[in-house]
Amino acid sequence: MRILAILLAAASAAMAESAAFEAAEKAFSAKDYGTALAQYETAIKAEPDNMRYASQYRMAVLAQAKALHPKEGTPADYDRSIKFFETLTAEHPAAAVAQLNLGFAHVDKMPAAGAITQVITANTALGFFTKSIDARPTWLGYYTRGNSYLFWPKIFNRAQLGVNDLEAAYKMQKTGPNKPYYIRAYISLGDGYWKTDQLDRAKALWKEGLALFPNSAALKDRLAKDGDDLKAVIEDTLDPNKRVDTDLKELWSNP
Amino acid sequence: MKFFLALLGGLSLTVALVAADERKSVFTDITHQAGINYRHTNREFHNPYAKIMAGYTALGAAVAVGDYDNDGFDDLYVTESGEGAKNHLYHNDHNLKFTDVGEAAGVANANVGENASADAMWFDFNNDGLRDLAVIKFGHNQLFQNLGGGKFKDITIASGIDRYANAITAIAFDYDRDGFVDLFVGNYFQAVNLFNPNTPRFFPESFETANNGGGVTLWHNNHNGTFTDVTKKAGLASSGWVLDLGHADADNDGDDDLYAACDFGTDRFFRNNGDGTFTDITESAIGVDTKKGMNVEWGDYDEDGKLDIYVTNITGDYMREGNFLWHNDGNLKFSDVARETATYDTGWGWGAKFFDYDNDGWRDLYVVNGWVSAGSDSYVPDIFDMITKPGIDFADARNWPPMGNKSLSGYEKKRLFHNERGQIFKDEAALHGVDSTRDGRGIGIADLDNDGRLDLFVANANNEPFLYHNVGPTDRHWAQLELVGTKSNRLATGAQVRLTAGGRTFLQFIDGGNSFAGQSMHRLHYGLGNITKIDRAEVRWPSGATEVFTDLPVDRLTRIQEGTSKKQ
Repeated sequence: MRILAILLAAASAAMAESAAFEAAEKAFSAKDYGTALAQYETAIKAEPDNMRYASQYRMAVLAQAKALHPKEGTPADYDRSIKFFETLTAEHPAAAVAQLNLGFAHVDKMPAAGAITQVITANTALGFFTKSIDARPTWLGYYTRGNSYLFWPKIFNRAQLGVNDLEAAYKMQKTGPNKPYYIRAYISLGDGYWKTDQLDRAKALWKEGLALFPNSAALKDRLAKDGDDLKAVIEDTLDPNKRVDTDLKELWSNP
Repeated sequence: MKFFLALLGGLSLTVALVAADERKSVFTDITHQAGINYRHTNREFHNPYAKIMAGYTALGAAVAVGDYDNDGFDDLYVTESGEGAKNHLYHNDHNLKFTDVGEAAGVANANVGENASADAMWFDFNNDGLRDLAVIKFGHNQLFQNLGGGKFKDITIASGIDRYANAITAIAFDYDRDGFVDLFVGNYFQAVNLFNPNTPRFFPESFETANNGGGVTLWHNNHNGTFTDVTKKAGLASSGWVLDLGHADADNDGDDDLYAACDFGTDRFFRNNGDGTFTDITESAIGVDTKKGMNVEWGDYDEDGKLDIYVTNITGDYMREGNFLWHNDGNLKFSDVARETATYDTGWGWGAKFFDYDNDGWRDLYVVNGWVSAGSDSYVPDIFDMITKPGIDFADARNWPPMGNKSLSGYEKKRLFHNERGQIFKDEAALHGVDSTRDGRGIGIADLDNDGRLDLFVANANNEPFLYHNVGPTDRHWAQLELVGTKSNRLATGAQVRLTAGGRTFLQFIDGGNSFAGQSMHRLHYGLGNITKIDRAEVRWPSGATEVFTDLPVDRLTRIQEGTSKKQ
């Protein structure tokens, strides 16, 4: 009888969490951001490591910021999600996805911030990506932190750290079936090799990636260019003033 | 036939490329042969924060162009900042030779005691036809009245402007259209005595939203040799880290508006209400920025009849702010087109000035840059360590790392942007030999030999300046106008002239010292290319009167006096 009660309670909680998420999605579609954010938060609290919930929550924050203020919103528009994930990770320090999304929440804020705040924010985000990897090493954790390192100017000597992480992600993806988002590691690791003056390795990796993803315009573009033209492509990719796409839909829809 | 045409096409392309390669430099460096022989030195402080301050006060190399003795040739006043160093008044001897008469004239001693020159400006505050001189300082600004005969009198105290300030820029224009120019001063640090600070908390409280700077001071001209601080009354009270001020009539309503470029925070745009007050319309005009504004220059770069604004910021691989080229969209709205016009990245930008160096009828843009060029180690990691410390108090100077012999955005190449018909700019600094890597600060544009080609003076921090003589082609036409106000202020500062020729209308105005640490010639210079006839010049005087002048000559300087409606 007691076991049944526990099972019923668990089922009831799961239903409530699912209902909150569905309500959040509905409100998000209707651009009722206030309701959406509250409902997403309810769902995430019940399941801190749910990638879909966390990602959709941040996308709603982003949409609200853009609706409230022109272009990229104001820095304060992103403080709600940062504060929420800070509280969540304090309560659930081992929740790797929550730690990762706290980092992403900082990244989401960057285009709305000034150049110096961008540096501070990027550095803060790296700390949470590291906490995520420490909690549970994942392809996404290594890819994210590795790619983040590549954005840093040469003076900070972080490109090699990026290569190390991206190689770890690359190794992970070689151990299982191919997934659509693995193309990202081919692109970024190649960019990392380029940034660390290993052009031949970069070209070889992009070629290997193109064999797996023959329709990739990004890989074709890199393989077709050299010198300043290639530099322009990679610098454009790693331009800190451009918004980084942190929507994780590609991952949660291709588990 | 098709093959033949293709061959011809290839041939013409080859010819064009060869022609481009064979173009000669427009400028030649004549600094030393002209008799310009000084080296600017940064001020060293002697206080507990001196080592930290050294990195943030590498300023004070300025140039002001003005014909102080009315002999028809523009002279140069240049500043030093070192303790006891003399400023220089270079008299133009008419043969591209200059003689330093600063001491004899009584305007050299500006860096004595707790004073370090930052900027200088010529203006005729009493409408007597003689240019007076303001020397702007970290310390006590000075006002020198031009007595004629090559002599000046220090009237600072009598004028009422004497006070300690960390002033860095000044412009003069007649904001209330009473016929006398007023004095606008931009202050960087708040009025803490930098030579002997009574607090360590005088550094910027934020890198992006600092509001503990010196702001703007507006001195109203009382018409009797005295000035009154009307900053608050005029609606200009502010606390930004002002680095430069620029004025122009943005909305063609007859009075000049004000742009303040601020370091560590938001630039400010003040609309002139026409009743002696201004309204801060930053948010609607340009939006709120977090950049490091260094320079304000106004000019109609795209010939659409509205004055645009160029502002330099910081762009490096560690921080990519990008400059602003604020395109005037009308109705006091501006759009930044710096990326689209390729004027976005000039490194750590300082002074910038529009001028038509090749007389092709389009106003080009020169930009100087570079913060501190010292040793091979970079200061960037030191700053990074500081800004990422949790809870750090940026306002406390003691928290800032000393720069020592490290460099920050040093050894940057200057940019000479050629205006490609108002659409985009193309950097030709290297081609014309003006891409020095010294730490540039101020720019002075002038036709120093009255040959119709604009020369270029560059004041460099902690280094020698450059005087570049324009030796470009002589087959292009030009016109210069010198305006004399009668009802308006004597130098006609603020006057707009729409010159129509060859089916085009060129808008220019007389500015009262726009651009960082630099003042250029007061005359208006129009490059005309192959246009040989001027149809008309419509002058809108600061008084509000409009006059049309016809039959103006090309390739000549013409003097126009208010109220005559005919050339003299």
